[in-house]
Amino acid sequence: MPSPETSWARNAPIRPLFAKELREITSGRALWTLLLFACPLVGYSFFQAMSLYGEASAAAANLPVLATSLSPLDGILVPTFGSFYVAVTLLFPFVAIRVLGEEKQSGGLGLLVQLPYRTATLVGVKLAAVLCAWLLCAIPVLSAVVAWWMVGGHLSAAETLTLFFGHLLYGLIIGAVALFAASITESSATAAIVTLAFTVGSWVLDFTIAGRPGWLEWLASLSLTQVIRTFEQGLLSIGLIAGVAVAICGFAALAAIWLPPGVAIREKLMRAALCVGAAAAALLAVSQFKTSIDVTEDRRNSFAVADANQLAKLTKPLTITVHLAAEDPRYIDLRRNVLAKLDRVMPHVSTRLATARHSIVSSVGDDAYGEIEYRYGTRQDTRQDTSRSTSPREVLPLIYGLAGVQPPAPIPSAEFPGYPLVADGAFSLLWFLAVLPILIVLAWWRSRRLPSNNRTFLKGGRHEEWHESDVDGRRERRCLAAAGNCGAGLQGGFLQRNHRRRTQVTGSGGRHLADRD
Amino acid sequence: MLSTALLQIASLTKFYGEQLALEDVGFSVQAGEILGLIGPNGAGKTTLLEAIAGLLPVDSGEIRFRDQPLPAHRRREAIFYLPDGVRPYADQTAQQALTLFAGIYRRPADEVSEIISAVGLRPVLAKRIHALSKGYNRRLIIALGFLTPHPILLMDEPFDGFDFRQSRDMMDTLRRVASGGRTLLLSIHQLRDAEQVCDRFALLADGRIRGVGTLEELRGRANRPGGTLEDIFLALT
Repeated sequence: MPSPETSWARNAPIRPLFAKELREITSGRALWTLLLFACPLVGYSFFQAMSLYGEASAAAANLPVLATSLSPLDGILVPTFGSFYVAVTLLFPFVAIRVLGEEKQSGGLGLLVQLPYRTATLVGVKLAAVLCAWLLCAIPVLSAVVAWWMVGGHLSAAETLTLFFGHLLYGLIIGAVALFAASITESSATAAIVTLAFTVGSWVLDFTIAGRPGWLEWLASLSLTQVIRTFEQGLLSIGLIAGVAVAICGFAALAAIWLPPGVAIREKLMRAALCVGAAAAALLAVSQFKTSIDVTEDRRNSFAVADANQLAKLTKPLTITVHLAAEDPRYIDLRRNVLAKLDRVMPHVSTRLATARHSIVSSVGDDAYGEIEYRYGTRQDTRQDTSRSTSPREVLPLIYGLAGVQPPAPIPSAEFPGYPLVADGAFSLLWFLAVLPILIVLAWWRSRRLPSNNRTFLKGGRHEEWHESDVDGRRERRCLAAAGNCGAGLQGGFLQRNHRRRTQVTGSGGRHLADRD
Repeated sequence: MLSTALLQIASLTKFYGEQLALEDVGFSVQAGEILGLIGPNGAGKTTLLEAIAGLLPVDSGEIRFRDQPLPAHRRREAIFYLPDGVRPYADQTAQQALTLFAGIYRRPADEVSEIISAVGLRPVLAKRIHALSKGYNRRLIIALGFLTPHPILLMDEPFDGFDFRQSRDMMDTLRRVASGGRTLLLSIHQLRDAEQVCDRFALLADGRIRGVGTLEELRGRANRPGGTLEDIFLALT
């Protein structure tokens, strides 16, 4: 048979490779440093959040209507996860880079790419290890969630899981970017700089140009912080999840393209261009998915059920022209209270900022400034009205009027009660500043302990005779390869099994272990 | 002769930018032999081994395995290359590295144990790889190579870091490996070592093959009867 025997290559198990990647991550300092750094950060945020939530809850005890605005999602979970986000943004790249950067730096990549796995499998296993690392890093924030639950705090499973999922996607995309950066650079330090430029740059992008009109707004929407914000609002957006998944797969695919050292740069560039093109097309396709699920208990992202049902039946196009500057608080109110909700429930809604290039100051004197035009219907049959309100109580009747339908009768549903809670958060400081860090240090110490010499490899026993000598200033023991000892084992053992149709001639029977030193 | 060769390297040429690293390199390797790739530092030995292993793109040339073309992406099915100067998985123990390869290639524990004994790794199994001496690190890399099932092993400077006695022992081990049916292509710059362990030699200088054959054949070609490999190399390059 001309081609090499490759059955072993087709059936190579993934488990040893995955175990190696996990060991690679846990043996580095970056993971433990992140965990130790996250403890006080998450702990103090959680403590502060509990204090503020407690103060607001105390006020709600005297004025029960205030209680309806008290949601643990906003009051506790988002700020606590927010501090975790900072730790992940700044430190997680160093953890993720390790799974590939170390191998590139040590020369181990040459061995890795010769293993019987496809490059995509190698990168996929590394990404899975990064996911496990992120889950370990999430221990402080998850312990905060448990602490909140233990003091009697309310937790909505849907809200909590959605928020957790959003941060998980964020962690994975950082992991994928880190893998890509490690694959294109020669050293871990350079890969870290590239990844940090991406994560911190994305962060800066968000708070410097978000809310600006025009293309800057589009640019800001690419920020990863915006990705998390959607989940923080309690929205499970199918399009967003698919988009992030495409981005993760895209970066992982780019890493897989750049990983093999035996491929010419020109070919890598061509494959990378194809990959980027495919990812862009996929992103364009998934951006058409408008479906999103409001998982919040107070349905903050949705109109009342009756209104949502009625609006879903309005199938003609609704065009909204807003004469407000993008940074105008009224526009932000309108977007949050009306436009975003309409976009989720009506099939054909388009919104346009008429003063997209204007600021509030430059719009002074414009009589139309502040107006919002609503056009409903096709070109032949368009009805139009104008309002200055940003409240759904006024906007929805206007839209019903344009559509020629009656406002629906309210459907009785349970009011969101709010979940006030006054609890002492001091105990959490003890956990986050003392107990958890000590546990992490202990786990770190345990991970650094050398394993005991496993006797698995000594099955059957071997006669070994060692000579001591000095190599590179270190004491070494030398195996005498004489007849009847380990050399004979070599001759009669694995060689024959490997290359002579696996004839079982071990030659080890009756030999004994005499590991003399 | 060529049709029975296990591996044939034909007209391999590699440029680094404008610099010619390998020029029309061609030779063949027979099954079960130890072929020494001999040359001074900078001759192109590592470049050639990496090119054969498919870890370095080449500008032209072909590798054939059992008389069939073996494209770069399929080289790892037949060839395993043990690079020089690497210290992989530095924070893991030698035992963990061996377990990784043993797990991937499904090696039974007694085989792994034999390999550990053969290369003399047992005293440092529980040591982290970054703490291994150069010699033990070299043994580990060789042990990893022995754990692979590939019919052809390429080794870059396999005796680097060994003293005289250790080199002799490793040569014995390599000979047993070859006599078991495995083919070894060793890059060696110590001519005395090469002379002792290799069946045939490919002399490489300035990226070009200057001679291929057994010591006797090369002596004849260089007109140095009774000459050492060093004499022959100096005569032919």
